[in-house]
Amino acid sequence: MDRHRAGAYLFLAPAGLWLALFILLPLAGAIFTSLFREVSFLPPKFVGLANYRWLAADPAFWTSLRFTLLFVLVSVPLELLLGLACALVLDRPLPARPLPARPLPGRALVRACVLIPWAVPAAVSGRIWELIYDYHLGLANHLLAYLRLIQEPVNWLGTAPGAFLALVAADAWKTTPFVALILLAGLAAIPRDLLRQAEVDRASPFQRFFRITLPLLRPVLVVALLFRTIDCLRVFDLIFVLTRGGPGGSTASLSLYGGNLFLAGDFGAGSAVSMVLFLAAAGLAAIFLKAGRFTRGLW
Amino acid sequence: MSREGRGKVLTWLAAAGVVAFSLAPLAYALLIALGRDPDFLSLGRAFVPTWDHFAAIITTPSLHFRDYLVNSLLVSGLTALLCLLLAVPAAFALTRLELKGKMLILLGILGLSMFPPVSLVGFLFKLLAAWGLINTRTGLVLPYAAWTLPLVLWILVSYFREIPPELDRAALVDGCTRLQVLTRVILPLAGPGLFSAGLLAFIFAFNEFLLALVLTTDHQARTVPVGLALFQGLHGQTPWGEIMAATVLALAPVALLTAVFQKRIVHGLTGGAVKG
Repeated sequence: MDRHRAGAYLFLAPAGLWLALFILLPLAGAIFTSLFREVSFLPPKFVGLANYRWLAADPAFWTSLRFTLLFVLVSVPLELLLGLACALVLDRPLPARPLPARPLPGRALVRACVLIPWAVPAAVSGRIWELIYDYHLGLANHLLAYLRLIQEPVNWLGTAPGAFLALVAADAWKTTPFVALILLAGLAAIPRDLLRQAEVDRASPFQRFFRITLPLLRPVLVVALLFRTIDCLRVFDLIFVLTRGGPGGSTASLSLYGGNLFLAGDFGAGSAVSMVLFLAAAGLAAIFLKAGRFTRGLW
Repeated sequence: MSREGRGKVLTWLAAAGVVAFSLAPLAYALLIALGRDPDFLSLGRAFVPTWDHFAAIITTPSLHFRDYLVNSLLVSGLTALLCLLLAVPAAFALTRLELKGKMLILLGILGLSMFPPVSLVGFLFKLLAAWGLINTRTGLVLPYAAWTLPLVLWILVSYFREIPPELDRAALVDGCTRLQVLTRVILPLAGPGLFSAGLLAFIFAFNEFLLALVLTTDHQARTVPVGLALFQGLHGQTPWGEIMAATVLALAPVALLTAVFQKRIVHGLTGGAVKG
């Protein structure tokens, strides 16, 4: 039996080695490096928590932290609510007879279209949004002027509120349909008979939604919430393409702020930023997993 | 109209709205790429179709667009293969072999995918620099395989669990070793799962940005997303027509794969929870 168990670990070894070498070791390295004054071409020097103190004294760090949290707080609920609304409307209608409803015709086509924004690189679709938001020839200003919603062109990427809204909208475009798709999968797993029976018992649509659909959808909602939060928290490529953190650093996410430090050769401070981000992500993940009661029922 | 009929119309309208919302920016990019003047909308000019922007992107060697595309395809393809090679035995061990704390191992590995890439990039840079792998395609494939591994492993585990364990017991009784159980029983049956997992690994590697930005310096290894993000045009004014042509070409591989294999992708992501 012991020989068998040793064999089993042998099957796990290649994957374990890879994860250790390219994820765990770099992570440990980042913790370690964050305690050093380490800049390109100079020998590293142990400085304790000096990098963290330097961060705490840098207004740009606080701006970046504030932006990142605000981006998560606005984008994630927006994407989840829009996604849930889409999923509810796209879900198969409740059958008049207690028979399984036929799947929506053309759903393969809808699904393919919905997946494309999510599947293509954000840095590439970001270039399209850059043009859409362009002051002179962008579609956004053109469309809003055509609908008479604005008198003068909006400087989307050149003002702090404009850039924030522009990023939220572009991110929502990329991920809302995907959230809808995940929630649709969750809705499909809810027994139709249950909803049907509730209708027979004269439960209002509101009651059916809040008493049956929402509780049963909760695990899927928590998963979607977790993934969206983690993704929004570490957002980098979309911002790099659309605003480069501008104007005036107002849209520099923590990833961008840290990434810029690395690109400038300051490994110590960059690692300190990445630690802050890592702890924020781990903390939020722990909270959500606790709230979703995932420790049981998965297996 | 009956209640059911109204529901159906509403569903159709919603579906049409979602599709339009998803595709509109892509259609806009294609329109600008195929038009002579990127500003025809704001100036109220007529749309003049042309292939020039696409031709310029493909044929101008100094733009290196073809290099970026080749790099991306090679890096993503090799990442998917390497990742499957690492994940298949691990998924086999986690579903079929006697191990303590399988669930804990799996959740731990899944937790690894939550790391912000920026927390890895500093050390990875030093590690790859020590190995002389900065600005090489290998230098991207190695960390990408680790980065996509949690997702691929998760998908493979959910597929392997669907295969009845009686099959391997029968094979073991017939004298197969456990390695033969994997190669002769599990793998042939898990084909769709392997494909879904590999496809998602390919897409994730194709889209990765931060590591590719920091670990590459020029066209020898730079991938499409980074190349395009840094593309400002050769002369003065932003050449929107050419940028959009490059964008369309860069989107095409993943968009086509997604459109053709949408079912496999959704199955992979939802553990087969979506039918139809």
